[in-house]
Amino acid sequence: MENILLKDNVAGLEGYFACGGYRPLKKALALKPADVIEEVKKSGLRGRGGAGFPTGLKWSFIPKDAPGPRYLVCNADEGEPGTFKDRELLLRNPHALIEGMAIAAYAIGAAHGYIYIRGEFAAEARLLEKAIAEARTKGFIGKNILGSGFDFELFMHSGAGAYICGEETALLESLEGFKGQPRLKPPFPAVKGLFASPTVINNVETLAAVPAIIEKGGEWYASIGTPKSTGTKLFCVSGPVNKPGVYELPLGVTFRDLLEKSCGGMQEGKKIKAVIPGGSSVPVLTAEEAWAVKLDYESLATAGSMLGSGGVIVIDESQCMVKLLQVLARFYHHESCGQCTPCREGCGWIEKILNRFEEGKASVKDIDLLYSVADGMQGRTICPLADAMAMPVMSFVKKFRSEFEAHAAGRCCAPEAGGGH
Amino acid sequence: MPKLTIDGKSIEVAKGTTVLEAAAKLGVYIPRYCYHPSLSISGNCRMCLVEVEKAPKLLTACSTEAAEGMVVRTDSEKVKAARRDVLEYLLINHPLDCPICDQAGECGLQDYYMEYSLKKSRFAAADKVTRQKRRALGPHLVLDNERCILCTRCVRFCSEVTKTSELEVMERADHSFIDLKEGKALDNDYSMNIADLCPVGAWTSRDFRFKQRVWFLKKTPTVCLGCATGCLAEAQHNENVIYRVMPRPNAETNTWLCDRGRLAYKAVTAGDRLAKGFIKNGLIDLEPALREAATRIDEAKGAVAVLGSPWLSIEDNAALAALAIEAVKTENFCFDFPAEQGIKDGILINKDAAPNTAGVKLVKAARGGISLEELSRRLLAGQIKVVITEARAAGFIKEALKAAAPRLITFATNRGEIPQGAYATLPYASYFETPGTFVNYQGLKRRTEPAVTPPEGVKPLWGLVNKLAAYSGDSLHLNSSEDALKGVKL
Repeated sequence: MENILLKDNVAGLEGYFACGGYRPLKKALALKPADVIEEVKKSGLRGRGGAGFPTGLKWSFIPKDAPGPRYLVCNADEGEPGTFKDRELLLRNPHALIEGMAIAAYAIGAAHGYIYIRGEFAAEARLLEKAIAEARTKGFIGKNILGSGFDFELFMHSGAGAYICGEETALLESLEGFKGQPRLKPPFPAVKGLFASPTVINNVETLAAVPAIIEKGGEWYASIGTPKSTGTKLFCVSGPVNKPGVYELPLGVTFRDLLEKSCGGMQEGKKIKAVIPGGSSVPVLTAEEAWAVKLDYESLATAGSMLGSGGVIVIDESQCMVKLLQVLARFYHHESCGQCTPCREGCGWIEKILNRFEEGKASVKDIDLLYSVADGMQGRTICPLADAMAMPVMSFVKKFRSEFEAHAAGRCCAPEAGGGH
Repeated sequence: MPKLTIDGKSIEVAKGTTVLEAAAKLGVYIPRYCYHPSLSISGNCRMCLVEVEKAPKLLTACSTEAAEGMVVRTDSEKVKAARRDVLEYLLINHPLDCPICDQAGECGLQDYYMEYSLKKSRFAAADKVTRQKRRALGPHLVLDNERCILCTRCVRFCSEVTKTSELEVMERADHSFIDLKEGKALDNDYSMNIADLCPVGAWTSRDFRFKQRVWFLKKTPTVCLGCATGCLAEAQHNENVIYRVMPRPNAETNTWLCDRGRLAYKAVTAGDRLAKGFIKNGLIDLEPALREAATRIDEAKGAVAVLGSPWLSIEDNAALAALAIEAVKTENFCFDFPAEQGIKDGILINKDAAPNTAGVKLVKAARGGISLEELSRRLLAGQIKVVITEARAAGFIKEALKAAAPRLITFATNRGEIPQGAYATLPYASYFETPGTFVNYQGLKRRTEPAVTPPEGVKPLWGLVNKLAAYSGDSLHLNSSEDALKGVKL
């Protein structure tokens, strides 16, 4: 099937026009805002940032008659390890995002939108700025868009490198100029978000899908994928596969098809040991589980993991799972905002235990300790960062316990992988 | 008005009430560190997690609003496990230096560990994160970042109450620490409240550090006499020594205390505390001092003035009124101190620096008297040869005293209060040592209780008045502070 998001030659405005760009915006502006939301609801589009919340429903949470401004924010702070899809989208199809934002803003009645872009994306930010300027010159952004009377200003803001700012309320804090730390919920952003006003926050990939939904209809979009996971998804495949990269495929595609048809299979002589299917925060799958799984929200939930951001990390037999988990733990320890107790203290503790495994100083008791520390963090914090640490730890320990035991017994399971012991 | 059940007990509460507040109404205590009733909700410590039926995760009681039909459990296994885990996390990087920590005995970590955990730590001590210890911050506080649990009460206090925003959490994860913002000093007028607010031993008071173990302290209710606000306070003392004064939070007047008011107790044992009298510049025992003063009063019969004081209790003012009317038998007495009252800093400090301006009015209403202007006029007209007053009140007629130069007999607790040119000074018991009634700027009557006994030989002011009258041959029969009231209705 034809790609909806990743297309060739649409990075510039002319190419985007050639593919029918900004026609959906004109179409949307002729509809009532409520009808735009209805169309998105019909499409079944779900948040592509990781949580998978239904987008139309999220938009409809904006209080209809609340006084004062409301805001639309695009989360382009793509920092999840193993995830690099939004970056690709920003480089190859920035106008789909801008158009999607204009449509979303119209639907929720926002006169201002912000794109919060990851600080490290300097080149992407420059290109995006250029695309926004182009759209403004053509009257797709700004006052009285296409003569409709609807005004929408769009701004871009670069982050400063904190992973936590990808969490939507930490993002809002950062956007307001404060230290990026998640807020207590409720109130949810739909009621009290940016500058204490009703706010919708959507991922780049989510917003970029909106123009196609308006152009071809929600039903058309819903016909792609599975009944509960509609549309296409960008999968970012990393690891020792022949063609790692970003692939747009209908949700519900099997892992096998993604790997074999899109990525050209595993590299010569490499055999899968494990797969992290949705960015580093989600529970790991064994090779056996991965070969059997379909990549959509429900199938992965049934398999005990999550679709997450679509960052598919393929791990081959030569890798040491303990070492990999240590790398992840170092990351989450470094990125924990330190606000609430279980995450602040637990992430550091987990890293220290894993360091012991790598230094050959751990005992078998430490395996259960590791699991129990992670378990104690889960579901008890302000934001999901603690879960993002706990889920890989618990799944690694559960599914690859023998490797931890080997470390405790003084052997590394895969010394050639650079395991410390 | 949502109705909910907490641990099987039902209660109806006002909309907007949190689960933690509703539980408190039922007598169900939910442990907490970051929650403080006078600060914004932060929800960071996770100690108050409770189980709410139909909620997939445990919820923080401090931030969850009570809702109709909510079923809350604070005693389930899930909740108990969460508390144990949170305590374990809080303690892994804690230095456990309780033996040398001032907070020991009133420490949130000690208390909750005993109550909710008693679990052996599984953390390797060698792995502890170390942080800066013993850092003097501002004139009154010491910060030990190693003991800090990052509840941010101190940060919120400075941004929300004093609005001076000196503090901030720096860094991230378990290397986070509390620090001063660039270019700031922690010298606001309320900084010592931070030591009270801190649930652990991270913030300690430089005044109180290492002076006394808290479990030895006895507590006596008192009133801060630093200004007309009249904050309720508590003197904490042991073996006749006051070690610190803490606020007694109340809905009417104060949650906090200002640093100046809090440290006012230091005058009680200050180096210039008076235990004897003065005649001119010569230290002299109380009895001869009283005799000398009485002689001068007798000498000047008919030309004596008595001035009350808004720094004295109603009882002591009433005793002075009795002295004027019934012993000295003069019409030259004044219990009238006009003062502008009201909070001047938006927090607690009053425009009126005297604690009992409103209370003295009751004495005036019962016993009459002339105005301050009239008293000054009579002084300047040479009609007055002796003035009897409390040391600080002499300031109200400073110019007239300077010009007319009468013999000034003052009552003082500390040498530093004695006005220049005083002829005789008589030492009296402070209101940490003797009861007294005061009326604050809101018209609320408040009583101090004696926490310690005065220095040997030092008497309450009404007792000195009784003696002065006796030396002049008049008996006022003042044997208690109640006697001193003499028709003044409290």
